[in-house]
Amino acid sequence: MSGRRLQWWFVGPALALLVLFNVFPLLFNVVLSFTNAELVGAEREFVGGANYARVFSDPRFAEAIRRTAAFVALAVSIELALGFTLALSIRREFRGKALLLTALLVPMMLSPAVIGLFWNLILNGNYGILNQILGALGLPEPQWLTDRDWKFTSVLLIDVWMWTPFMMLISLAGLNSIPATLYEAAQVDRASAWTVFRRITLPLCAPLLGLAVLLRATDALKQFDLVMATTGPNDKSTETLSTLLYQVVFRDGKLALGSAYACLVLVLVIAVATAFTRYLEGLNRRPA
Amino acid sequence: MQLLRGLFLLVYGLLATLPLCWMALSSLKSRDDTISPYARFVPSLVQEAARSVGAPLGSAAAVSTFTPTVAAYGALSSVHAGAQGSFWSYLRSSVLIGVLSTAASVLLGTCCAYGFSRYRIPGAKDWLFFVLSTRFMPPLAVVVPVLMMYRELSLTGTALGLILLYTVFNLSLAVWLMKGFLDEIPRAYEEAAEVDGYSRLHAFVHIILPQARTGMAVTAVFCLISAWNEYGFAMTLNSSANTTVPAYFAGLQGNIDGMPWPQIAAGGLLFVTPIVLFTVLVRKHLLRGMTFGTIKQ
Repeated sequence: MSGRRLQWWFVGPALALLVLFNVFPLLFNVVLSFTNAELVGAEREFVGGANYARVFSDPRFAEAIRRTAAFVALAVSIELALGFTLALSIRREFRGKALLLTALLVPMMLSPAVIGLFWNLILNGNYGILNQILGALGLPEPQWLTDRDWKFTSVLLIDVWMWTPFMMLISLAGLNSIPATLYEAAQVDRASAWTVFRRITLPLCAPLLGLAVLLRATDALKQFDLVMATTGPNDKSTETLSTLLYQVVFRDGKLALGSAYACLVLVLVIAVATAFTRYLEGLNRRPA
Repeated sequence: MQLLRGLFLLVYGLLATLPLCWMALSSLKSRDDTISPYARFVPSLVQEAARSVGAPLGSAAAVSTFTPTVAAYGALSSVHAGAQGSFWSYLRSSVLIGVLSTAASVLLGTCCAYGFSRYRIPGAKDWLFFVLSTRFMPPLAVVVPVLMMYRELSLTGTALGLILLYTVFNLSLAVWLMKGFLDEIPRAYEEAAEVDGYSRLHAFVHIILPQARTGMAVTAVFCLISAWNEYGFAMTLNSSANTTVPAYFAGLQGNIDGMPWPQIAAGGLLFVTPIVLFTVLVRKHLLRGMTFGTIKQ
């Protein structure tokens, strides 16, 4: 078999599957969004832009976008700040470092749906261990999962617990890539700790931190599992884009309306994904 | 400064690990002990042991003890309200779906990555970024068309449907990770094989694949974990007992008899233990796996 033919045998099957399961649903979503299809029953007819008219007149959609954006911004920045601080603290060699590092990294590998459900026990307002600890310390004990003002914070809290290790991991890679000679030169110049941090540590870590932020942001944008596990769908104070989609399609059975929502969400996601891949290309071109 | 750093690490280390420890303790309790408004964290065995060596016990210690029991693990075999089968039947599905989809992803992903690594594929860069971008799709935004497609093909409610979906979902990860690993294997291997008269395919199967063993193992672990943890598709495409454990736990929410906390803790612990072991196993490759091979170290 000639090389030209063989190369397509290598890459073909995987690419075909990806196109079938990604491009096709995308197009089908668009078609469905102009119909009145429901979850139950096979009948559907063309209704024009009626679904889109409903989506745009529905304050719930705008609300979900705002809340998801707030969630992404807050989660990513808290995780970045905490993760970077952790990386700076754990940077130096000490006994038991490998063990501690592994222990710290475990949460990000766990299933958000399962662990999120268990967090309900930890956060329970009446018998949860967290409030018992807060009470013993003389701090206020909020009703994490039932108080409207705290539900969003609870989801955020669990997300921070899960994903701070990820930020720490990438920050450590950034810190480790800084050549020691730079720090030695700074020492010769008697630069202050703050100057060293601002002029060497931070700028040299920045490209990798940017990558971490983008990876985490695209993931947080999909937030579904934790919300479902804590407050469930259809909760006004925690509704994200994904749980809104779930509610519309699977609880209300409005398939076509869900497709219209999904199309708009996908435009958003594709925009973020494009930003991400552009950034990655720029990073790869950078001389190592 | 040094002290502050140590303290910060200590406090964060405790916060990071305590939820899992609490899960382990809760799995050994009775339901009443899990929802006691006074945390019970000392198994009575410890108290007995302390008493036998004559250690003084305050009244606080007496309140905070509980009698450990493995009843919760036994209760995992019974079928709860809201579930279609016992925990074990869901776990079996999880293993089946996880293992088969991982094998398929790694196989297809390795071949695809090899093509991109060794041949000049037209538009290679665009294809690779397309592959990566499929990972950003929120499952809930593509689930409707997939559901319709599956209804046509009678794949809803089957393990095969989820295996297929997870295979595709993990392909992006497998292709990008494997490309990184394959790029590190010198071309000289295949060139030497071709000089010796072997075909390209023979060189791939008998020389490159054995060289890429570590990479494939690491890729497999990451694919397995993401299939193991996936929830959006598992709960929407499949409401039968053929679905994975995360969907089982979702079914327990809003239980009329109250949440069966000890069973949730026991099942959760059994469910995450393999992940913790795998994390330890691939700890040197975590960075690579979590960033799709874009950072190598």
